[in-house]
Amino acid sequence: MHVMRAKFAGALAAALAAVIAVALPASAEPARRIVSLNLCIDPIVLDLVPRERIQALSWVSSDPNVSPIVDRIEGIPLVRGSAEEVLALEPDLVLAGGFTTPATVDLLRRLGQRVEVIPMATRIEEVRTVIRAVAAAVGEPERGEAMVADFDRRLSTAQATGLHRPEALVYEANSIVSPPGSMEAAALKAAGFENAAERMDLRPGGRTDLETLVVSPPDLIVLNQRSATYRTPVADNLRHPALNHLLDERAHIYLPMPLWICGTPHVADAVAALASAREGLRK
Amino acid sequence: MTWEWVGERRAVASMAALAGLAFLASLLMGPNGFGLPAGERAFGIIFWEIRMPRALLGALVGAALGTSGAALQGYLRNPLAEPGLLGVTGGASLGAVIAIHSGAAGVFAAALPIGGLTGAALAATAVLMLAGASTGPLTLILAGVAMSSVAGALTALAVNLSPNPFASVEIVFWMLGSLSDRSLVHVWLAAPFILAGLVLLMQTARGLDALALGEEAAINLGTNLPAIRLMVVIGSALAVGAATAVAGAIGFVGLIVPHLLRPMVGFLPSRLMLASALAGAVLVLTADVVLRLLPTSVDIRLGVATAIIGAPFFLWLVLKTRRELLP
Repeated sequence: MHVMRAKFAGALAAALAAVIAVALPASAEPARRIVSLNLCIDPIVLDLVPRERIQALSWVSSDPNVSPIVDRIEGIPLVRGSAEEVLALEPDLVLAGGFTTPATVDLLRRLGQRVEVIPMATRIEEVRTVIRAVAAAVGEPERGEAMVADFDRRLSTAQATGLHRPEALVYEANSIVSPPGSMEAAALKAAGFENAAERMDLRPGGRTDLETLVVSPPDLIVLNQRSATYRTPVADNLRHPALNHLLDERAHIYLPMPLWICGTPHVADAVAALASAREGLRK
Repeated sequence: MTWEWVGERRAVASMAALAGLAFLASLLMGPNGFGLPAGERAFGIIFWEIRMPRALLGALVGAALGTSGAALQGYLRNPLAEPGLLGVTGGASLGAVIAIHSGAAGVFAAALPIGGLTGAALAATAVLMLAGASTGPLTLILAGVAMSSVAGALTALAVNLSPNPFASVEIVFWMLGSLSDRSLVHVWLAAPFILAGLVLLMQTARGLDALALGEEAAINLGTNLPAIRLMVVIGSALAVGAATAVAGAIGFVGLIVPHLLRPMVGFLPSRLMLASALAGAVLVLTADVVLRLLPTSVDIRLGVATAIIGAPFFLWLVLKTRRELLP
């Protein structure tokens, strides 16, 4: 679900980003009882405000498959996101994501709650917009700027030097790759790679075939670390003997999904990991 | 009757030839049109590890669905019987989803086909008990629809309860039916069950011929009806259950195949069985090749394609059956 969401958000999220970033009202009094309803907002809130000001985070943040903050949220209440559940926490600020159901947002607003809808980033530059939007909403603009500066610093450290841009490809379950326009594709570019998906004739949803990958593999294959607790035939392409042959002879890294499923500052960690893999390719 | 025997020989021979051609076409078909990969190493991996499993699975899955359709139509003496419509495929999907969802398939790979065939067996048994073997075609189809709804609802529940969002997406995709990127591992997982199911179903041929004369006549001829019934249920469950577990839900193949063959081989179930196995393989392999010929922007899954062709065929059969039932 999140893969889909993260990937096909594209134009809509960008448009929302433009509109909503302008529309965010500056609040006089910083919020003290903050509830975040979105996995992609939770890590930013956690780093921007002291814990005592966080009333609840989203329930998905406890899922190690997608959340980068699983081991940092102990003791914080988690919500599934229904309006009733949120009201019971008596928040003074509710942060909703671009994909939070409009019905919930409308209902909370009609009941007098202050709800800020934060745009979701699908490009690296939009991460800054998201950080600033959250920082403005929680009343911590300076800390937001510091977070943006830190993000930019980590990104520039990872930036490619020299003209050599090797090819990389993210290869996921169901032979979904890193289609142009996705956060994965943006991270590859930022780390100094060409995205091999651009030369592939992709199927809808950013899918290719294992055969296409085997015939013309990129210099680096990027795999997601996957849960070992379930197995579906659709994801068995990641256990395919033909892929294993390829991995024996091609450089590859495992990059945990939580780092780049959302446009959070953690994307810089993904870019840094990719950049060091690129340095490794030169040796 | 001799022309039918000749017809069966001809049908089997021509279907075997077509199946061979379709199998070859599947091996030659790459993601970018016909052709074999260049380079010895790439050829070895792509031909043996990617294309061969796909072609083998296509043949096995098609044979499973075609034979099961012929056996079910013969046993129930009902032209509308088919594993998909009778809820056997739905039961198989549910069983496989439970195997995935419980984590069993992650620990022990064969849990997937075993889950599939267990679900298929339970669904088939329930439908036969609901409908009874001697009732009319409509009761049976209703029982099948009811079983499919139950299986569909429980599958939706399993997807709904899945703690892992990726698992849900993958399950939904798998159920659309596909042979893409499967490996020899899947062939080894499914083949033993499918082949065992085919052997069981073929054994019922003589009994089904007797049954075609009516239940009493069959009993007078010394046919062991409960044994035939058990073999049809278990055989279909093994074949369709394992096929569905690795390839997803591929419907209507078992419905169409016997109807296409009857004009050639006549109406005796025994003459249909082998020809249906081969014709099922032809149908699934051909569909899989044709779908790969489409431009990549039109990505239609195998199970979706068979449903789009099969559902109108089913409607036509319903109309035809109604005319025959209500003169």
